[in-house]
Amino acid sequence: MQTKIGLEIHCQLTGLKSKLFCSCGTDYRGKEPNSNVCPTCLGLPGTLPLLNKKAVEFASMISLALDCRVPEEIMFYRKNYFYPDLPKNFQLTQYNAYGITSIGVDGSLQYGDDKVARIRRVQLEEDPGRVVYESGSMEKSLYALVDYNRAGIPLVEIVTEPDFSDPKDVRLFLNKITSIVEHLGVCDTKLEGSVRCDVNVSVQGGLRVEIKNVGSFSEAEKAVRYEIARQKTMVSRNIEVKAETRHWDDARKITKESRSKEEEQDYRYFPEPDIPAITLGKDFVLSLKPSMPELPDARKERFISALGLSPHVAQVLIENKELADFFELTIKLYNSPKEVANWIVTDLISFVDEKDREGGNLLAGLKVGPEHIAELARMVEQNTVNRTMAKQILGQVVRTGEMPSVVARKSQATRIADSSVIADAVEAVFKAEQSAVADARQNPNAANFLLGKVMQLTKGRADPKTALELINKKLRETT
Amino acid sequence: MVTKEEVKHLSWLSRFDLSDEELSKYTAQIEQIISYLDKLDSMPLENVEPVKAKKNLADLRNDQATNFAGEVLGTKYRKDGFVKAPRMV
Amino acid sequence: MQSLYRLGVAEVVQGVTSREFSAEEYIHQLLERIERVEPKINAFITVSKSSIDQARIIDRKIRDGEKVGPLAGVVVAIKDNICTKGMRTTCASKMLDDYVPPYDATVVDRLQQAGAIVIGKTNMDEFGMGSTTEFSRHGATRNPWDINKVPGGSSGGSAASVAALECTVSLGSDTGGSVRCPASFCSVVGFKPTYGLVSRYGLVSYANSLEQIGPLGKTVSDVASVMNVIAGFDEKDNTTAAGRPSYSVDKRPLRVGLVKEFVEGADEQVSKIISNSLDVFAKVGCQCEETSVASVQYALPSYYTIATAEASSNLARYDNIRYGFDMNPEGYEWNTYFSKARSNFGEEVKRRIITGSYVLSSGYYGKYYLKAQQARSILIRDLKSLFKKYDVLVGPTMPILPFNMGEKVDNPLTMYLVDVDTVVANLTGIPAISVPAGFARNGMPVGLQIMADAFCEQTLIDAASMFETEAKVQRSPEL
Ligand SMILES: [Zn+2]
Repeated sequence: MQTKIGLEIHCQLTGLKSKLFCSCGTDYRGKEPNSNVCPTCLGLPGTLPLLNKKAVEFASMISLALDCRVPEEIMFYRKNYFYPDLPKNFQLTQYNAYGITSIGVDGSLQYGDDKVARIRRVQLEEDPGRVVYESGSMEKSLYALVDYNRAGIPLVEIVTEPDFSDPKDVRLFLNKITSIVEHLGVCDTKLEGSVRCDVNVSVQGGLRVEIKNVGSFSEAEKAVRYEIARQKTMVSRNIEVKAETRHWDDARKITKESRSKEEEQDYRYFPEPDIPAITLGKDFVLSLKPSMPELPDARKERFISALGLSPHVAQVLIENKELADFFELTIKLYNSPKEVANWIVTDLISFVDEKDREGGNLLAGLKVGPEHIAELARMVEQNTVNRTMAKQILGQVVRTGEMPSVVARKSQATRIADSSVIADAVEAVFKAEQSAVADARQNPNAANFLLGKVMQLTKGRADPKTALELINKKLRETT
Repeated sequence: MVTKEEVKHLSWLSRFDLSDEELSKYTAQIEQIISYLDKLDSMPLENVEPVKAKKNLADLRNDQATNFAGEVLGTKYRKDGFVKAPRMV
Repeated sequence: MQSLYRLGVAEVVQGVTSREFSAEEYIHQLLERIERVEPKINAFITVSKSSIDQARIIDRKIRDGEKVGPLAGVVVAIKDNICTKGMRTTCASKMLDDYVPPYDATVVDRLQQAGAIVIGKTNMDEFGMGSTTEFSRHGATRNPWDINKVPGGSSGGSAASVAALECTVSLGSDTGGSVRCPASFCSVVGFKPTYGLVSRYGLVSYANSLEQIGPLGKTVSDVASVMNVIAGFDEKDNTTAAGRPSYSVDKRPLRVGLVKEFVEGADEQVSKIISNSLDVFAKVGCQCEETSVASVQYALPSYYTIATAEASSNLARYDNIRYGFDMNPEGYEWNTYFSKARSNFGEEVKRRIITGSYVLSSGYYGKYYLKAQQARSILIRDLKSLFKKYDVLVGPTMPILPFNMGEKVDNPLTMYLVDVDTVVANLTGIPAISVPAGFARNGMPVGLQIMADAFCEQTLIDAASMFETEAKVQRSPEL
C-alpha cells in the first residue's frame, strides 16, 4: 500500500528578543500567566501590528538553508477562525494562493544518507496563547483557563510535500531540521514546545487526514505510526477514510476526531491591511547569505576534509549541534580530531539514556565537558591508560564530573611502566601457577592466561606489552 | 443568488446565533447588497494590479523587548492570573 | 459674561494664554452648555468630569510661566472609537460596554501634549457602520439644525457637538465619509486627511485600509490647527508616511474642477448650491470648469466590498473573553458562548460582517475583494491624471439633504447609496474636506466637498479657506 506523509513543522524563533508584532519578550516560559502581554498581542481594539525586522531575517535564513526561493516582496495574510487562545480570532500568517508572498517556496532538503524531501513553503506567523484546565481535564471543569503569554511568539512554519512513506524517515528528517535551526541559532529546540509538528497521512484507498497538536518531534513519529495503522485497518475492513482533521492525544498516544472548528475552505484569507507589503529587494538574499552561520552539511564536509573524520562519524556529530560543538571545543584543548571524535561518537553517546536521546538532549544528563574528553584522549594516546581502562574511567567521569586523571589516580589505574615491578609480579605468578607455566611451554597461546594473572595481581596497572615480553622471556629462560 | 444556507454558514463562521426569521431577513438584504456589488463585474479589467501599500525591510521595528506597564485585561473572570473562558468541548 | 463657548481655536488659545479668561472658566461654560443642549442633541456618550482638572493644570502652567502647547485650553470632543486611557471607549456598542483602554491613541496623546483638553467621547454609529448615527447603543444623535433630522454619520456626535457649540473642535474617523457626511449635514468643517498622514494607532478598526482620523471644527482654520498637531509619522503605525507637516492658510488662485458625476446624481437643491459655489471660486480668481471621472461608478461597490471584508475580520476579536461586557463564561461550551455574546452586536454590524464574510469566501475572493482592489487602482490612476489639470476637484459632499430620522434604517442599500460621493477619497487615499456651502429652502445645510491629490493638504486648506471666506455661510443653529 502506498503511504504518503507530509509535514507542517512549527519552530518558535526563540533566538529573538521580542514577539513578532509587539515588543513583549519571547521568554514566556515559567512566567505568571498573562504577565507577558501588551495591548497589541492581546488584540485590544485600536492596536496595530509592528513587524519584527529580525524575525524576517531569521525566517529568510531558514528558507535559504532549505534551498527555498525567497521572493523580493513578502506579505502577511489573515487566517480567520475562532478559538479562545487566539486574541484577535484571526492568525497573522502568510499565504501564496494569490501570488508568492511567503518568505520561502520550492525548496528541498537532503536527509539521512541520500534521501530528499521537497519543501513546499516556509512562512512566518504568530503563535496563539494556551488553554489549560484546572483539574487537568476538560470534562471536570466548568471553564477553561487561558494564558496569552505565548500569543504572538514568532513561529516559522515549514511545509513539506508529501514525500515520506516511512515513519523512520520522518524522524530522520525532523532531526535534520532540528540541527539546521540549532546551527542557525534561531531556535533552541530543547525548550518545551519550541518545535511542534502537524502531520498529514494518507494510505492507498483513503483520503488525506491531518493530525494536529503533536507537541514534539519525537511524538510525530509515534503519531504517524499510529495513524498509518489506524487507516490501514480501516481500509482493510472496507471502512471509508475521510478527509478530516484529527488531534493527537499525547497522554493516550492515539489520534482523536476533532470537531467544531473551521476547515481550510472557511479561513477567508485576505492581506493584512495594517502591514504593508515588505520589500526585501534584489540584494537581500545576496547580503544575507555571507552572514549566515555554518550549516550542518558544510560542517560535515569540513570535518571530513579538514579534520580527516570518516563520513559516518562526521554525520553523527553534525546531526546534533551540541555534539558537534562539544567536539570542536574538545579538539581545541587536545588536537587529535579522530581520537576525540571516536570517544564522543562511540563511547560518550553510549552513556546517554533513552529519554534524553529521544529529546535530542544528548549531554544534559552527563557531567562531562570537553576538558574531560580531551584529557582522556591524551591519556590514551600517550599510553598512560589502556583503552579498556579508559572506558571504565569515562563511566565514572560522566557520573561524578571528576577529571579522568583524578579517577585514574584514585583507582590506582595508572599504568605500571617500571619493568622491575612487573618482573616481580611475573616471578610471583610463575611460582603460583606451575602447571600453567608447564602448559605455556608447550602451547605459546597459553601465555595469555599467565598475562591475565599478572594483570590481576597488579590490579590491571601493568603495561600488558611489557608484561607479555617478560613472560615470554622467562618461559624461554627456564626451558 | 445568495441562499439561506449560505447565510446560515456565514453566520456560523461569524459566530452569530440567528433565528430563522432573522436568517430570512438577512438573506434578502444581503442578496440585494451582493447584487449591487456585482456591478464590479462590468468593470473593464485591463490587467490592473490591486492597490497595495509598501514598506522597506530596513524600516521595520528593531528586535528589542520592553514590558507594557499596566493592566491589559478587561475581564473580571480570572483565576490565578489566567483568564476564564468557556470550555472547549 | 462673554459667550466663550462660541470661540474658535485661535481665540481660545489667545484668551487662555493671555489670561483674558482661564481654561477653567472656558470648560465650565462648555460643560454648562452640554448640560443644556444634550437632552436635545445627544452628541456625547461620555462627558469627562476630569476635564476640569486638566483645565486647571493648563491654567497653573500659564500662571507659572511654563511652556504650553499650541492648543492650550482648546477643548476637544473625541469620537468614541478612538482610545482614551482610563476613559470608557465603547464604539457605541454593547460589545464594548465596559471597555476602558489601557492606552491613549496617538492622536489623543498628541492633542494632550499640545495643551488640548478632552471633554468627552462622542456618539456614533456602532463601530462606525452607518451614515446617520442612528445605529448606536446610546440612542441616536439629532441634527442641531432640526432635531427631527439625522446629523449624518458615522461621526454624528463629533459633528453635532461642534455645531451645537459643546466643544471647540472634535475628532471623528472617516472610513467612507464618516467625518465629511455629518460635517455636511451639520454645517461644520470636516477634514479627511490623506491615508497615512494621521496615525491610526488607537483608532478601533472598522476598515483599516480606508480610514483616517480627521478633525471637525467651525472653521477651516480650526481644523488646520488640529491637523498641525495630529498629523505626521508615528512609529506605532506602519502605514504612516514620513515627516511632520505644518499648514498655514494662504490665498492663491487655483484650478478647480467640478466633478460632473457627483453633481448629476444629486438632489436638485444640492446641485444648485454646489454649482453656485463655482462662482465663489471664480470671484477670487480661480479657474473653474466641469470635468468627469467615469470610473467613480465603481467606487461604491468597491468600497462596500472592502469595508465589509475588513470589518468581518476586524470585529471577530469581540468574543467577550478578554474584555467587553459582563457575561460569565462558566458552564458554557465555547461556540455557544461566542454566539450568545456576539448576538449583542447591532443589526447593521451583523449585516456587514456577514456580507464581508461572503465576499471573502473561498471562490468569491477573486470576484469581489480582488476586483475591488483593482477598482481602487483604476480610480487612483484616473484621479492622478485629473490632478495634473486641476489643483482641486469639487462636488457635493452628500447627494441629498439631511433626511428624517428613521427614514432609511430599514433599507440598507438606500442607506449605503448616500456615501456615493465620499467613498472616492477613501478608496484612493486622497485628502478631502467638507465646508458649509449653503442652506436648502427647509433650512437644512449643504456641504461642498473639495478633494486634492495625496499629501496636498495645503492646497486643500487654501481652497477651502478661500471658499469659506468668500461664501460667508458659517453660522450656528439656534438651540
Ligand atoms: Zn505584546
